[in-house]
Amino acid sequence: MSGKLPTQTYQDIAKDVDFEYLRNKLKLKHLEAKKAFSKKYPHVEKFLAEKGIDLAKIRQHSAKIIGAGALTGTLLLSSPTQQALPTGQEIADKLKSEKEGGETKFPQKLLVDTLNKSLPQKTRPLNRQEEKYLEQVFENIIGVSAKANLEGEHLNTTYGLIGAEQHLKRYPGDTVVNHKPYLKEGIAPGLGAWGYFAPSKDKLTSSLEETERWYAVVQTLYLPDWSTRQPYLRNWYKYRKVLIVNTQNGQAVVAAIADSGPAAWTGKHFGGSPEVMEYLGGPRYKKGAVVLFFVDDPENKVPLGPVEYNRVDLPKIALREI
Amino acid sequence: MSKLFFDHLIVFEDLEGKIDAVAKNQDERDELWAIVDELVHHKALGVILDKLPGKDHKEFLEKFHQAPYDEALLDYLKEKIGENIEELLRQELGNLAYELLADFSQAKK
Repeated sequence: MSGKLPTQTYQDIAKDVDFEYLRNKLKLKHLEAKKAFSKKYPHVEKFLAEKGIDLAKIRQHSAKIIGAGALTGTLLLSSPTQQALPTGQEIADKLKSEKEGGETKFPQKLLVDTLNKSLPQKTRPLNRQEEKYLEQVFENIIGVSAKANLEGEHLNTTYGLIGAEQHLKRYPGDTVVNHKPYLKEGIAPGLGAWGYFAPSKDKLTSSLEETERWYAVVQTLYLPDWSTRQPYLRNWYKYRKVLIVNTQNGQAVVAAIADSGPAAWTGKHFGGSPEVMEYLGGPRYKKGAVVLFFVDDPENKVPLGPVEYNRVDLPKIALREI
Repeated sequence: MSKLFFDHLIVFEDLEGKIDAVAKNQDERDELWAIVDELVHHKALGVILDKLPGKDHKEFLEKFHQAPYDEALLDYLKEKIGENIEELLRQELGNLAYELLADFSQAKK
C-alpha cells in the first residue's frame, strides 16, 4: 500500500511517464554517443579496454588514485604554500596567550587567517598532511574534534564547494509550510537518500526534526567502494555528523548527512539544508568553499547546529577599551 | 572528490533540479545522473581527441589514465593543440546541457 488515496495515485503515474520517457531518451542518446565514439576512435576504445577502464567508471578510478595519494601524501595536485605554517599546538598556545593576555583577537579571525594561509584558493582534495593540520586547527580553535578519516572512512574530497539544497520530506505528507521560517527554498520533490526521517508525523521526534533542519549532502555515490561495501557504508553514513567550516568567513556548523549528491556535473561537492547555508553564509549564500570533516563523537555529545566558538564577551572588551 | 580534470568546466545546475523533479527515489536519480555523467565524458573526450593530433592520442590517454583528476592535463592539451581547449570544452559541454534540458522539457509535456 502506498498510503495514498485513489484520487492521488495519478501523481505517481505522471511521474512514471516522465521518468520512463526521459530514461529511455537519455539511454538512447547515450548509446548513440558510445557507438559513435567507438567507431571514430577504435584505438581509444582498445586502449581503455586494455587498461580495464570503463568510461562509466572513470570517476571511481579517479577517486581510487586520489584516495591512495591522499593517504600517502603524494598527491601531485598544485600544493598551497605550506612553508612556515604554525603547528596545531602553536595555534593553541597563541589562542591561550591571547586569552590570558586579554588581547581582543577573535578566534574566528585567527581561524580565517590560518585557513587563508594553509588552503589553496581553488578547492581540491587535500593530502593527509594538510588534513591532519586542519584537524588540529579545528580542535584548538573551534573546539570540535573532527577527522577527515574516521574509522577508516574518508570522503573523496574534504575541501570543496557546498551548494544550497531544499528541505527534505521528513514523513509522508510533509510539505514546505512545515519548515518555517525558510520557505522560499522549497522542498525536494523526491526523498533523501535514506528515505523519510520518520514513518509518520507523530513518529517525528525532536531529534529527527533537528537532523533535517541541519542536514548535509555528500557524494557517497562516487565513493570507490560504495557499491561493494553495502549495507555497511549506507548505515555508516546515515545521519553521520560532519563539521562544515566556511573557509571564507570561518562560520562553522555541525550537520548530519541525510542525502547523497550533488551530481558531479553541477560543479559542487557538498550540499547544505537551508538552515545550514543561512548560518554558513547568510540569506543569499548559495555556493561557496568549505572544509567538511566527520565529527569524532562516539558518545553523541556534540549537538547539531551552529558552533558558536566565535562568541566573545563583548561587554568586557568594551569596558577594557574605555 | 571523484574529480576529472575538466569538471570545473561543467556546471549543469539546472539539470539537477529537473532530474530531482522526475526521479521518485535515489536509485532513479542516480541512474539518470550516471547517464548524464557518461554523456559528458564521451563529449569531452570526443572534443579533445578531435582536436588533438592522432600521434599524441596515446600519450594523452596514458596521462589521463594515470591522473584523470589532474588539471595540468589542460596545459598539456593547450600546448599540443594550440587552441583554447578550455573554452572549446566549455562551449561543447554547454551545448550538451542545452540539448539535455530540451529533452527534459519534452518529458514534461
